[in-house]
Parts: sequence; C-alpha cells; structure tokens
Amino acid sequence: MKRYILTYFMAFFVASLAFSQVDRSKFPEPGPAPEIKISDAETFTLDNGLKVFLVKNDKLPRVAFTLILDRDPLFEGDKAGLTGFVGQMMTSGTTSRTKDQLDEEIDFIGASLGASSTSISASALKKHQTKILDLMTDVLYNPVFPEEELEKLRKQTLTGLAQSKDNPNAISGRMAAAMVYGKDHPYGEVETEATVKNVTVQDVKDYYNTFFKPNIAYLAIVGDMDKKEAEKVVKEYFSAWKPGDVPKFEYELPVRPAKNEVGLSDRSTAAVQTVIDIVQPVELSIGDGEYISSRLLNQIFGGGSSSRLFMNLREDKGYTYGAYSSIGADRLVGEISANAAVRTEVTDSAVVEFIHEFNKIVDGGVTQEELDKAKAYLTGSFGRSLESPTTIANFALNIERYDLPADYYKTYLQKLNGTTVAEVNATAKKLIDPNKLYITAVGNADEIKDKLAQFGEVTMYDNMGFQAKELTADADATAETVLAKYLDAIGGKENARAVKTASMSIDADVMGTPLSIEMVYDFNGGKYAQKTLVSGNVMQTSSILEESGSVSAQGQSMDLTPDQFNEAKVNSYLFPEAWLEDLGFKATLEGLKDVDGTPGYKVVMESPAGAKLINYYDAETGLKIKNENPLTGDTFYKDYQEKGGVMLPMTWTIKSSMIPVPLEGKVSNVEINPALTEDDFK
Amino acid sequence: MRKIAAFGLLAGVLCTPVLAQNKIEFKEFTLDNGLHVIMHQDNSTPIVNTSVLYHVGSKNEQPDRTGFAHFFEHLMFEGTDNIDRGQYMNIIQGRGGTLNAFTSNDITFYYETLPSNELELALYMESERMLHSKVDLTGVETQREVVKEEYRQSYENRPYGTILPETLKRAYSAHPYRWAPIGSLDDLNAAQIEEFQQFYKDFYVPNNATLTIAGDIDYGQTEKWVKEYFSEIPKGTKEIYRPNIVEPKKTEEIRDVIYDNIQIPAVIQAYNLPKQTSPDSYAMNMLSTYLTGGNSSLMTKELVDKQQKALAVAAIPLELEDGGLFIMYGITNMGVAPEDLESEIDKLIKQVQEEGISDQDFAKLQNIMENNIVSSNSSMSGIGQNLAEAHVIYGDTDYINKTMENYSKVTQADIKRVANEYLNLTGRVVLYYLPKPKDGAQ
Repeated sequence: MKRYILTYFMAFFVASLAFSQVDRSKFPEPGPAPEIKISDAETFTLDNGLKVFLVKNDKLPRVAFTLILDRDPLFEGDKAGLTGFVGQMMTSGTTSRTKDQLDEEIDFIGASLGASSTSISASALKKHQTKILDLMTDVLYNPVFPEEELEKLRKQTLTGLAQSKDNPNAISGRMAAAMVYGKDHPYGEVETEATVKNVTVQDVKDYYNTFFKPNIAYLAIVGDMDKKEAEKVVKEYFSAWKPGDVPKFEYELPVRPAKNEVGLSDRSTAAVQTVIDIVQPVELSIGDGEYISSRLLNQIFGGGSSSRLFMNLREDKGYTYGAYSSIGADRLVGEISANAAVRTEVTDSAVVEFIHEFNKIVDGGVTQEELDKAKAYLTGSFGRSLESPTTIANFALNIERYDLPADYYKTYLQKLNGTTVAEVNATAKKLIDPNKLYITAVGNADEIKDKLAQFGEVTMYDNMGFQAKELTADADATAETVLAKYLDAIGGKENARAVKTASMSIDADVMGTPLSIEMVYDFNGGKYAQKTLVSGNVMQTSSILEESGSVSAQGQSMDLTPDQFNEAKVNSYLFPEAWLEDLGFKATLEGLKDVDGTPGYKVVMESPAGAKLINYYDAETGLKIKNENPLTGDTFYKDYQEKGGVMLPMTWTIKSSMIPVPLEGKVSNVEINPALTEDDFK
Repeated sequence: MRKIAAFGLLAGVLCTPVLAQNKIEFKEFTLDNGLHVIMHQDNSTPIVNTSVLYHVGSKNEQPDRTGFAHFFEHLMFEGTDNIDRGQYMNIIQGRGGTLNAFTSNDITFYYETLPSNELELALYMESERMLHSKVDLTGVETQREVVKEEYRQSYENRPYGTILPETLKRAYSAHPYRWAPIGSLDDLNAAQIEEFQQFYKDFYVPNNATLTIAGDIDYGQTEKWVKEYFSEIPKGTKEIYRPNIVEPKKTEEIRDVIYDNIQIPAVIQAYNLPKQTSPDSYAMNMLSTYLTGGNSSLMTKELVDKQQKALAVAAIPLELEDGGLFIMYGITNMGVAPEDLESEIDKLIKQVQEEGISDQDFAKLQNIMENNIVSSNSSMSGIGQNLAEAHVIYGDTDYINKTMENYSKVTQADIKRVANEYLNLTGRVVLYYLPKPKDGAQ
C-alpha cells in the first residue's frame, strides 16, 4: 500500500516536473521564421534553342514533363477561336496512332498527357518514362489534325458560345475586356460564331508549323531524375526538333479613360442580380518594384474573405455573397479588377461602396495591422505552394521569362515581410486611379441604367461585348401599329383569322437523340395540345381545354391549378394578335429592344385573367422573332415561309434554364385547317 | 526506395509487375490518457500538417439522435474556454494556415496546415478543442442554422443529392449505417443541450483520438509540445460505444423510385461490401476501376461512347469499417428509359462474372492502381490522413507502407471471384431517380 502511494506521488511529481502546466490564456507565439529552402533548378540548352529546367524531386517515383511555348500574344482577328482548337487537335491522333490508340496507350500506363496551343504536358511513374516520352514526342512531331475532330470541336465550341450568351459572368468578361483593351487587341477580341466557322484544318496546321519551335520553348522536368539523365533523355527525344523563325508581335498599350465610364449589358429576362466588374489597365509585370507590395495591397483590398471589399459589401451591407479584387501582372499589360454579383435593387449602392473603397485605399492607405495579417496570410500560402515541385519549376521559368535576379524567389519572403505600410500606400497611389475606372454591369437595364448614369457616361453593350446599336423606337409606334404590321407581314389579318385549326410538328436533335414536339390548335373550340416525343416515345403531353388543363409525364398526370391554367392558356394561340378584341387581351408596347442583334419591338399582351404574353416583333420586317416566358424560357423564330395563306416560322430555337443547350427545332409538318377530333386533345 | 516484387501467380504472365512504393517513415507513441500520436518528419518544405482523428462517426449515434457526429464537426469550430466564439478559423488563417474537417459514417477528422514555425499554435488549438470546447446553447443554435443551410444546399437543392441517404436507408436494415452522417434535422432540433454535452464527454476524449503531425518538424520538440498541451486532458471514464451489430445478408432485391428535382433520370445500384479491412476490398477497388475508371474502362466505353445509353456511369466503393457499399450509378442519355440502361449495366456485370477480365486489362489495372497509390502520398495532408486511418481502421500505422503489397496480391481470378461474390444481383438495392412532374403547362 505504502509503496503504491509512493509510486503515485513519484509519478505525479515526475509528471508535473516534465510537463509544467502551459499557460492556456495566451496563444503560443510563432517560432523563428523557418528558412525557406528553395532548391535551384538545373538548366541547360540544346543546340536547337530548347531551354530545359530540371527540378529533381525523388520523394516519389514520378516524373513530369511540361513543354511551354513562349510566344507573343496573338491577335486572331477573323479566325478568333483558332488557338482554342490547337491543343485538342494535337492529341487527336498522329501518323502512327489513332486517337483511340493514343488514349488506350496513355491509360494503360496510368499516365496523363495533354496539350494546349502553347504547351504539351505529360506525367507518369518513373518506370513508364520511356513510354510517356514516346507518346509525348509523337504528339509533338507527328500530329495529323483530323478534319472530323475539328468539326466535333467546332460543334462543342459553338454550343459553348451559345450557352455563354446567357451567362452573365461570360458577358461581363467580354464587355470588360472590350472596354479595357478594345476589340483590336489580343486581350480584347472575342470568338464569335462567324470567326469560329472560319477556322480550317489548314489554319491549325499553319499555327503548328509556325509556333511549335524549340527556339521559343521551355521544357520543365520535375521528378525523379538527375541532371545527367535529363541531358541524355532530352537530347535523345528533343534534339531532332527543328528550329525556325517565329514572328513577333507588338501592341499598343491600352490607355485609361479620362474619367470613369460605365458599360452596361442588358439581361432583362432572367436577371435578379447585377454582375459588377470595375476594371482598369495597369502596367505591372512580375519582378517590377511594386510587384510584391501589390500582392499585399490586393490581399488587404479584396483578396479574401477578411479583406475590405468582403467585409464591407457582404458582412456589413449584405449586398452579395462575396466581393473580391485582383491585381493582375502581365508582361504586356495587367489589369485591376474589383467584382461582385449583387441584388438588382442595390446595384448603384454597391458601385458607390466599391468606389468608396478604391478612394479609401488610395487616399487613406492601409494600417499596420492589416499589413501584418496580409503578410502572414501570403507567407503561409507561399510556403504551402512550395510543397508542389511544380512551383519550383514555375519559379525557374519566371526567372528566365521575366528576367528576374537568380535569387528572386529565395529572398521572396524577406522582401514580402520587409515591405512597409508606406511602400504599400505608395503602390496603391501608383497603380490605382479611382477616377479613371471602367465600371461594367450586366443586369436588368430597365431597372439600373438610370441609376448608373451618376458614375459616368453609360454605353450599352451586347452579349458578345460589342457596342449595342442605338435603339430608338419609332416615335409614333404603338402596340397597335406593331401588331398590325406583324399581321400584314404574315399575310393580312383576314388570312390569320381564317386559320381555325392547325397542327404542326417540330423536330430537333439533342446530342444525337431525335426529339420532336407536336402541337395542335383549335381556335373555335378554345383548345390546344402538345406532345413531346424523344426517340419516338412520348415523354410529355399537355392539353389545354376551354376551362381546364392537364399535364402528364413519366406516367403521372396532374391537373393545372387556375393560375397555371391561365398562364398556359395565354400561350395556347397560334395568332393571338388577330383575335385581341375577341380574347379581351390588352396590348402594351414596351419599347425597342436588341433581340440577338436584331432591333425588335417588345409587346406585352395581358389576358383578362392577368396572365402575360411577351413577344418581340422585328422593327423592319414586322415578323415575330421572339417569345419571352419567364417560367419556361425564350423561343426565337426565323425562316418564315408561306403555309396555307399565312407566313409561319420554320425554325424555332428554345432557350431555357431547364435544358442544357439551346434547342434548335425545324418545322417538319404544318397543316392549316385540318379536321381535328377529340382524340387529338387527349 | 524500397521495391516490393509481386510474384506472378498465374502461369502465362511473363511480365511480372514490379510495384514500387516509397516508404513513409514515422514515429508514434501513446500518452497515459490514451491519446495516440503519430509523427512524420519531412523537412523539404517549411510547413506542417496537424490533424486529429476522432473515432466517432454517424454509426456511433443513437437511432433517434442521428446527425450528432456531423453536427459536432461544426460545433467544434465555435471556440473554447480560451478561444473566443467564431475566432478558431481566423486565428489559424491569420497565422498563414488553412483548415477544415469532415465527418463520415466511421470517423470525424480535423486538420490544419500551417507554416512549420506555427506547430505549437496548431497543437494548442487542437488541445483546446479536445480539453474544453464550448458546447453551449448559443453555439448549438448558431450551428443548427448553418447545418440546415448545408442540408438545403447539399441534399435538397443538389440534383441527385439524396442518393446516399436514400441508398443507405434501404441497404441496411439493422446496422446504424442505415442513416447518413447528415442525419435528421428533427433529431437535432429535438436534442437537449445536455445530450450534446454528453456526446462531447463520451467521444471527444484522448483515448478516442489520434493526433498526427506531418511535415517540417523536429521529433523531440514535437513530442515535448504534444505532452505539454495534451497530457492534462483527462481520459474518458466510460467505454466508448461502438455498435456490435451484424447486418443480415439480403436475400431479396429492394427496388424503389425516387422523384427528385432533376432533368435526367438515373439508375442507382448498391451492393453490400465486406469489412473495409477484408483483403477483398482491394479486388473490389480494382473492379470498380475496371468498370468505370477512365475513358477506356468497360462501362464508359460501352455505355457512354458506343451505345450512348448513358451520359455518365460510375462505380464507387464506399468502404466502411463494418462493411460498406459498392454504389453504381448511371445517368441516362436523352430518351433512354432507365430500364434499358439498367439491363445493359447488368449485362456487363454478368460479362465480368462469367468471363473475368483479359490479361491486358489486368496489367492496365495494376498500372493505374500503382499510379494512384504513389500519388496518394504526395502531400503532407495526404500522408497525415493516411497515417491516421492506417492506425485507427487497420490497427497498424505501418499499413500505409503495405497498400501496394496488398494490391499486388490480387490476382486476375480474384477480380472475377469478387464480382460473383459481392455483386449479388438478387440481394441488392436498385433505385430509379426520376424527374418530379413539373407544374406549369410546358
């Protein structure tokens, strides 16, 4: 017993001696800043001009090769989109391997291989090094650029482009680039349907033959390899690569506007938010005197979720889910950007806050506390980035490309942590000019245009970043004149009223699957029915009768509520314009709008039950070009042809948030005044 | 580099694959209060990853109090006696670190990566969490709202978001795996503050935790700090509740239809798996890669590229301590009926069950596995998590160095065998996800 107690006390004593109680009321202080050991990359150059960087890292038996072409930015003009095709075309087959063979051989060794217009990268386990180099250099030397692959990519690109026209962030990006750089600058131009359609296989080949040259290339090797082996391997695989003259390009520097200017792109249908991006060009490149202090400046201004913009616009005001900034560095020209997506009704208040923050940081500078936090944050992320050996390769590349001192990254943290408040404040004054900003907004123009005028002259842009045509409605245009012109254009009111019944089929193709929509109209009977078929199978039917309606899909059927019925009913006429008085519809003209490049009068017809029908009519031809439905999406009409005495659109394009891509349907069958039976509406 | 030779067991396999795995060195010790500590030193980058694995997941919950384990993952960022409410993240980020946590059916895992001169801070923060976290009404109320938002975002509003809970509910009849970590909001609402405090006392104890430190550390200094900060935390007084429930083998297929906010129907199949530690887990993993891993895998090539019946197919082994699930899903292409896709999936499963896989495909699988394993230990956070799981789940920290060896024991015949043994077409769960009928006319 005694012994037990003694041991107990001994243990207690020893324990308390060894682990003196820590003071939990204070956070432990950081230890001395660790020495950041950044190993040097080995470098050598082949006779053909290829510069090689080797970062040896044998922690894991892997090896990665990245080939980078260092060319000037390219203005693609009427072939814009070309460079987007080059990478995938490179990996679409070689003189000795089809695309399938290439994929299978890459998968077989568990490796990866990819390309872009300025790079080819490959990685694999060390033991598959020879194989992956065979595949990589086969792609580099012997690509065949198959025509059918280009067509496939072109189709994907056009689909993406169509989708991007409804994407507010894409629209914002194009508009901001157009304002900052102009459309004649490689950073400002955009690919359009027309330029994408211009690209040929020969263009891709010409690009490849012009730019894939060793004398403008860097090869970064990261992984389990020493210099001796690297020299041998690179010589074996890359010395046969023939150098050539590569053209150089120069561009004029964009200038800032004399005073703040506003760019606005209207997205009236779906917008509950405004995407705001406030931008200005900046001459800033990696390695410049202000580069490191600009990192700190941005971190304090809007780099993260504890930065000023976030704290003000989200935490304090609740305008947005997040507000951020960036200060881009680029050899040609960089860009300062501050952005957020905000609720429509606070658009102008948000811009006020952004401009306030710009002024505040330029005039008032930053505090020591903010600077210390920003340093800690950036030091931490710099340290973590070093875990990836690719970072070291990028450092080596940057030193070469930006002509930096050899110890630039080795002393990076010293430079970062030695930066003073005064230096950051001087950088803010030098880089940012709060009176020469481009303020861009994508949102509901009807609601925000007037409110934005206080910040500068407002210029309208379309969804591709081109200045919108000035649209001024004809002074004496009214809903009546617009609808009358439409009825004249389709063959006259009497002809339209003579159409008592109609049936129509529309065929479309959804990613290779045939889809068709069959519609039947009975004006006198007040009935409408619609069937959607996929691959010939009925997927959905809806029928709208005089007083009730129902929808069935996937074997389930449901009746419409009165609201749903009224909403559906107003959409169930072929020519409501010809029956306005009979139906008791009220028509209102809501101005001249841009309908995908065509000026169109917007007319809202309201049923006695309060449901709305929104149509757009071509200002020039009078024809109906668009139906807008906030619930189900927009339908665009074109290719009018005469059918049974009236003109009907033969192409219907449906855009809806419920379908992934715009659906282009062709009318395959129209019957005017066919005999219909009850069965047609079941 | 240590090379482990796998001896080809099959005659005819001339080219014996040499599977290479770099050895991960580590040191470990256990404090008197039961806290197990694993350290891995790698001085190449001045960062350190610190993590604590609490061996508690949704399976340790009571059936009328589901969602507790996951709820604690939120609550544990509320603060401690010495850390003000809401400051936990700010402190770590303000010292240049990143942090996060996750909860599974088996474990709750917290981790942060900081500059290596901040190791003491990381140990302090984790020891505070273990010693005296704030489990009070204010925190519970705040986090209930956050978890509700998470529920809306990740389950209700995400297309196919309910696949996991809906599948678990049917795949298990007895075992607590029958509910998902997110659990039930009703249970969380019904729970009293005392119950939360009891859960903390029961499970957030050193004898139920594994502390792992990986990175630019000094072993001696690290051990000293660990003892300073963690020794005073009292050991739990109760035996940790671990359900000892054997899920009965299913003899009938369970079939159901779920209507969800989706545009495109999906087919889900779930097959019960053996315990995570079973040697057959490796073969099942390889089988899933064979079926759907990458563009040249069997089902992707056949159903997505060739027949174009599916937009995507995936086979995911959800490995769990007491036996998880092999979940397969296929999203139908436009106009393809779910029945049609399902019968094609079944055909391919039967093909593997009857014919097995070719020499070429087996060699490819081995290459892919090797690449995956090598890459899984490429970061300090990856190594930290793998070390902790090796200790807790496999009962052997050095398991981290044996993964490759275990994979190389799997034979071509094993793949065919496990396909027959576990992909049991008559004892599985099959769910059809169909679009909810839309209101409105079009």
